Amino acid sequence: MIYLDYSATTPVSLEVQDTINKVTREFIGNANSINGLGIKSKNLLNSATKQIAEEFNILESEITYTSSATESNNLALIGVSIANFKRGKHIIVSKLEHPSIYSICSYLETMGFEISYVNTDEDGLIDFEHLKKLIREDTILVSICAVNSELGIRQPLKMIRQTIKKINPNIYFHSDMTQAIGKIAISLHDVDLATISSHKIYGPKGIAMLYCNSTVKIKPIIYGSGKSNDLNPGTPALPLIAGFSKAIRLALTDLEKKEKYINLLNERLCLHFKSYPDILINKTKYSIPHILNISIMNIKPETFIHALDSDEVYISTNTACSSGELSSGAMVIYNDVKRASHTIRISLSSMTTSEEIDKFIKIFDKNYKSLNSLVKKD
Amino acid sequence: MEKVIIIKYGELSTKSDNINFFIKTLKNNIEKKLSGISFKISYDIGRMIIYTDNIDMVLNKLKEVFGIHEIMVGYIFKDKSIEKIEENILALIKNIDFNTFRVTTKRSDKHYEINSIDFSKIVGAYILKNTDNKKVKIEGADLEIFVEIRINEILVYFDGIKGLGGYPVSTLGKGLLMLSGGIDSPVAGFLAIKRGIRLEAIYFDSPPHTSKMALEKVKDLAKVLAKYNNNEVKIHIINFTHIQEEIIKNIPNYYLITIMRRFMYQISAVIASRINAHVIINGESVGQVASQTLQSMEVINESIKKPVLRPVCCLDKLEIIDIAKKIGTYDISILPYEDCCTIFVPKHPVIHPNLKTALEYEKLIDKNELIYNAIKNETIININSNNKEYQDLL
Repeated sequence: MIYLDYSATTPVSLEVQDTINKVTREFIGNANSINGLGIKSKNLLNSATKQIAEEFNILESEITYTSSATESNNLALIGVSIANFKRGKHIIVSKLEHPSIYSICSYLETMGFEISYVNTDEDGLIDFEHLKKLIREDTILVSICAVNSELGIRQPLKMIRQTIKKINPNIYFHSDMTQAIGKIAISLHDVDLATISSHKIYGPKGIAMLYCNSTVKIKPIIYGSGKSNDLNPGTPALPLIAGFSKAIRLALTDLEKKEKYINLLNERLCLHFKSYPDILINKTKYSIPHILNISIMNIKPETFIHALDSDEVYISTNTACSSGELSSGAMVIYNDVKRASHTIRISLSSMTTSEEIDKFIKIFDKNYKSLNSLVKKD
Repeated sequence: MEKVIIIKYGELSTKSDNINFFIKTLKNNIEKKLSGISFKISYDIGRMIIYTDNIDMVLNKLKEVFGIHEIMVGYIFKDKSIEKIEENILALIKNIDFNTFRVTTKRSDKHYEINSIDFSKIVGAYILKNTDNKKVKIEGADLEIFVEIRINEILVYFDGIKGLGGYPVSTLGKGLLMLSGGIDSPVAGFLAIKRGIRLEAIYFDSPPHTSKMALEKVKDLAKVLAKYNNNEVKIHIINFTHIQEEIIKNIPNYYLITIMRRFMYQISAVIASRINAHVIINGESVGQVASQTLQSMEVINESIKKPVLRPVCCLDKLEIIDIAKKIGTYDISILPYEDCCTIFVPKHPVIHPNLKTALEYEKLIDKNELIYNAIKNETIININSNNKEYQDLL
C-alpha cells in the first residue's frame, strides 16, 4: 500500500495510540468529578493542556477543545458573530477556504450577516489592496486559512493581521490552520483565533481545538455546563485530548528538517510530471511542498483515482471534503474550468519513503498509459 | 559582536562582610534556574555576565530570581580601536527611539590610551555627527550608553529591565510557611522568599471535611512559589481531621478557631525546629478575620516560642490581591475548594479571646497526644516547578 493522502488524514502514530490506550484504561474518572479518580483525570487534562499551551506559547485558558476542525471553525465564526453583532454584521473570508467556512458563511447570511470574499492574486496570495477596500467600520471578523487545502498555498498571516488592525483594530482575525500545523513554522500570535486539528498531525480523529486569544469576545454555540462563558461544555474527551497533546508535541519537533525532506520528494514528483504534456502542475511560489496538486487534462480524475486504488495507491481529487466538484482553489488561480475539474492531490509526509515514491511513479505511469490509450483524439 | 546578559545585584552589595557568600549563592540559584539551558557565567563584585545563545529564554527565567536589581542586554566585541567602537555603538543605537542621550564610560583597562571622560566625549561627538536631531543630556537622558573598556574586550549596554530585587534565596536561612489555599498565604510566602528565606510549607489537611481538590490547589500554589524558591517547595502535610473533630466535640463553639489555630502553631513550631527553619511564616493580616485581631494574635502566638513572620499583616486586601495576581497565585487561590480553616467556622467566633480561658478550654482535650499523633502521620511531598506531570503519557 502506498498512502499519499496525508492532507485528508494521517494514520495515528504508534506513540499517540499508546497514550490513548493507556489513558482509556487507566483514567476512567470524569475530569469534572470531585472524587479521587476525577482529580487524577483532571490533573492529566491540565498537564495535556499545559503542554499544548507551552508548545504554541499561548495561555491554557486560550484553548478550547472541539470534536473537529469544522466544529472549531463553527465556534470561531458563529461564536464571534453572536458575541459582536451589535458592533457589526460584516465578515470577510478568502476564496481559498475549506468548504466548511463557506457553509458557515451561508448560515450566517441567513441570520443577517453580510459576507465579502477577498480576491487573490495570480500566485494565490491575498490581494491586499482588495482586502483594504473591503474592510469597513462594521467588519467584525476576517477569516483566512494559513494553508489552502487544495493547492497548499501559504498566506502571510502576520502581514494580513497588520493590514487589518491598521484600518480597524476591532476586527478579529481567525485562521484555519488545519493544513499548516505540523507542516510549517507558524505563530499563533499572528492571529486572534486559530483552528487546529488532531487527525492531520498523526493524532486521533474526533478531537481538535480552537485557539482564542483572551481579548476576543466570543460566545459558546453549544450550551450545557451552567457557566455562561464555557465554550466547550460536556465531559472532556481525555484519551483523545492526551493523544492530541502528544501528537502536537511530536508534530512540532524537527519541523524544518521534515519540511526540507518533503521538499525533495515534491521536486522529484514535479520533475516527473513535467515530462507529460497533458499534466499541469498547480503550484505557485507560495505552495508548501506537502501538498502537490496536478491536473491530468485528458483523464477524468475520479477514474484515475479508482485505477490507482486497485493498485493500492491512495490519493485524492480536490479535498476529501469536496470531492466531485470543481476545485475552487485551482479555479480561483487559473480561471480554467477544465483545469479546475481535472485536479488530483498528492499529499506527502515525512514518513513517505523514497522507495514509495519510486513505486508510486511506476504505478502512476502504468495507469496513465493504459487510461490514456482509451482517450479519443479529435 | 557577542550578545550577553548583564546582571546588577540588588541589596546584597551593602552586606560588606559576607558579600562573596551572597554573590555565590545568587550564582548557584541562577544555575539552578537555568538548568537545561546552555550558558556560562562570569562574575565580579559589581555584576554578573551570562553568556548564552538563548538570550530570550534566559531573560524570562531571570525575572523570577531574587537578588537581581537590574537585567541588561550587553554587547561584547574584541576590537578596541576607537573607530570600531564608534561604528559598533552607532549600529546598536540605530533602532532605539530616543531624543537625548549620554555616554558613560568605565575604563577597567588602565593602559587604554584615552581616559574615560575623553572617551565619552569622543563617542558622544561621533553619535551627534552621525545621527539627526539627537542631543546630549547629562541628567535624565532618554538613553544612557554605557561603555566599558575591559582588558581584552569592549562591553556596551543600555538601561535594563528591573529585576525582582530582594536577597538571593536561602542567604538568610530557612522558614516554614503555613500554606492554606487562600489568597494571603502564598503572597506571604513570596515576600518571605524575597528576603532571602528558603521556604518549606506546611498544610493542614482535613479529609473528608476538606476535598482532595483543596490539596491539589495547595500543590498548584506551591508550584508557583517553587519558581522563586530555587525550583522547589517541600510540603509537610499534616492530617488535622482528628484534632479538628476533637476540638469540635469538646470545646465551646466561639473558641473553636482560637484553639484550632493554637494547635496549628504548635505543630508548625515542631516541624520548623525539626527542619532547621528559624521562623514560621503565615498570611495573617491584621483585622481581616476573627483570628487575626491583635488580641487573637496575642493569644494564639502565646502557644509557641518560634518567631512568626506575617509579611502581609499590614497590607490591605486589595494590595495583597495585586501581588497575588502579579505572581500568578490569584487564579488558583480563588478556586472554590474549602480548606480546614473555612469549614466549621462558628457564626460568632470570639474576637477578643482571653488567654486564661483558652488555656482552660485546652485542658478539655489531650493536647500532647493529639499533636504527637498528627506529627507522626505527617506526609512530605516535593513540588518542583520544572516537573512536568505525566511526561510518560504526553
